[in-house]
Amino acid sequence: MKHKTLTQSMAWLHTWSGLIFGWLLFAIFLTGTLAVFDKEIDGWMRPEIPATSLSQSAAAQQALGYLARQHPEAKTWNIGLPGERSDTLTVSAGEQRRGGGTALDPRTGEPLAVRETAGGGFFFRFHFTLNLPRDLGIWTVGLAAMAMLVALISGIVIHKKFFKDFFTFRPAKGQRSWLDAHNATAVLVLPFHLMITYTGLVIFYLIYMPAAVDALFDGDRDNLGRALRGAPAEQQVRGERPTRSEAAELTALEPLLAEAERAMGPVSSLSIHNPGRSNARIEARPVLGNRIELTKGQSMLFDGVSGEVLRQPAVSRPSLLTQKVMAGLHFAQFGGYSMRWLYFVCGLASCAMLATGVVLFTVKRRRRHDGEGAVGALLYHIAERLNVAVVAGLMVACVAFLWANRLLPVELAQRGGWEVRVFFLVWLLSLGHAIIRPWRSAWREQLGLAAALCISLPALSLLGESLGDYLYLELTSVALGLLLAWPCWKLYQAPKERAPRRVGKQPVAQVN
Amino acid sequence: MKSKSPAWPTLSRIVAALIGGYLFTYAFTAALARLLPMDKVDALVVASLPSFLIYTLAILWAFACRNAWRAWAGMALALPLAAIGFWPQWREVLG
Repeated sequence: MKHKTLTQSMAWLHTWSGLIFGWLLFAIFLTGTLAVFDKEIDGWMRPEIPATSLSQSAAAQQALGYLARQHPEAKTWNIGLPGERSDTLTVSAGEQRRGGGTALDPRTGEPLAVRETAGGGFFFRFHFTLNLPRDLGIWTVGLAAMAMLVALISGIVIHKKFFKDFFTFRPAKGQRSWLDAHNATAVLVLPFHLMITYTGLVIFYLIYMPAAVDALFDGDRDNLGRALRGAPAEQQVRGERPTRSEAAELTALEPLLAEAERAMGPVSSLSIHNPGRSNARIEARPVLGNRIELTKGQSMLFDGVSGEVLRQPAVSRPSLLTQKVMAGLHFAQFGGYSMRWLYFVCGLASCAMLATGVVLFTVKRRRRHDGEGAVGALLYHIAERLNVAVVAGLMVACVAFLWANRLLPVELAQRGGWEVRVFFLVWLLSLGHAIIRPWRSAWREQLGLAAALCISLPALSLLGESLGDYLYLELTSVALGLLLAWPCWKLYQAPKERAPRRVGKQPVAQVN
Repeated sequence: MKSKSPAWPTLSRIVAALIGGYLFTYAFTAALARLLPMDKVDALVVASLPSFLIYTLAILWAFACRNAWRAWAGMALALPLAAIGFWPQWREVLG
């Protein structure tokens, strides 16, 4: 690398950081885009759960009835309530709050036989851990996010005619069209790219950059945790618990839920400590995204017998609020469905920008690579194959994951694990397919397969009984399938018109 | 990636950007957290949030400057910054 100008060195950086991390970033962005609708996908993957219009307090009452029958001695009852995005009512007894629990039919209060599934949460977990061990995954994704920031800023630097290119699109012109498409998708939603990448890093900011923790707290995480939470309030609540208790009836949940909703917005779950005793406590947690701030861990505490409020939800100090608002901007839980759709569409544009970027790398070298020596030729061939497997292959794998949810036998042991295995097996097969097939056929066949699987996804609901309402999910799947069918169809037409094409007279705006 | 130019200055630059840039950002964040006249928690958050921007700029700078030596010289600023950020700890070690 020996470059005279700033533009040249930035172009080099943009090309190589973009190529090497572009494949990883595409996987992160595609699964992240799908994770915008994780709960909706999760609902589709559990078709045994019926659509319900029951009020939260009525559902909670059913859950209480079940818990009192099945776990009268438990110290804690946990209830996950159905809400705007999910019809699922879950209960569990004991301290652990996460990890599912038993799904109940909110109409009868009886347990439902729900298939075991990896669920929509798979896309969410893959998005930030790549299904690797958690720490390794978080660091890998963080590194990719840094590469994204570097590629974005260097991309802006090398982009001289920023606003002119914004309105430039030269379709069906080969390399130039790919460049235009890459520029258009990059510039059009540039604020989104910058925001989503930076806020993604901010979620785990103290893991990635522990410098200030090391300097001010000597790296002591427990000490830091206490300082961040503001310890006194917590101790107050713990300290006043009486040692003896007698049987006492639980307060009515309806006014309690109404009060929690008034203070925090819609409620997602309840924990009832010491149920049926005079020292009962009810903890209510809000749905993520009642506000932009990411309110993970926020809750409100009630006396379980009198129903009075013991602790209001904590209010973040301005500095922490800044961090939580940034994290909240990434999680996209606020603003309801219109905001979710905006994030989804912007996420698709990011995927398109990354895909056109890595494809542009090979389109440029398809004619030129002979002049770059053996290493250049080898690199070009690897990139061509990986492009197919990562872009088209991952899309096939994602939709195959959904197909596996309906096609794998319901009684299969470790069924959720098998769904994930199907995802990775299909992805691996797509790589093998990309290696043995000529590149044009590989693209065509894999895009075609992804399109066909997406379009026919609604047919799967005809297999067996599905009680939920999946109209929007199925329409979206069909629309995405049609979107994928378009480049597939273009690939069938392309060879005839491409053959006589000459290199343009004008020098193409060079990105590297 | 011309085959004529030796690979090693490029490699040196990549290491300066990734590792040197991270160390510089680390030291910068520690020094900023130490110097901000705020409550400890506020200083920690305010210093840490822009660290990814600092790291990005450090990486870009390592590739923009004229040669790899300059890149390394810039990253060496990490040393005085680290001295500011960790001076209570260092004073303890030095006795």
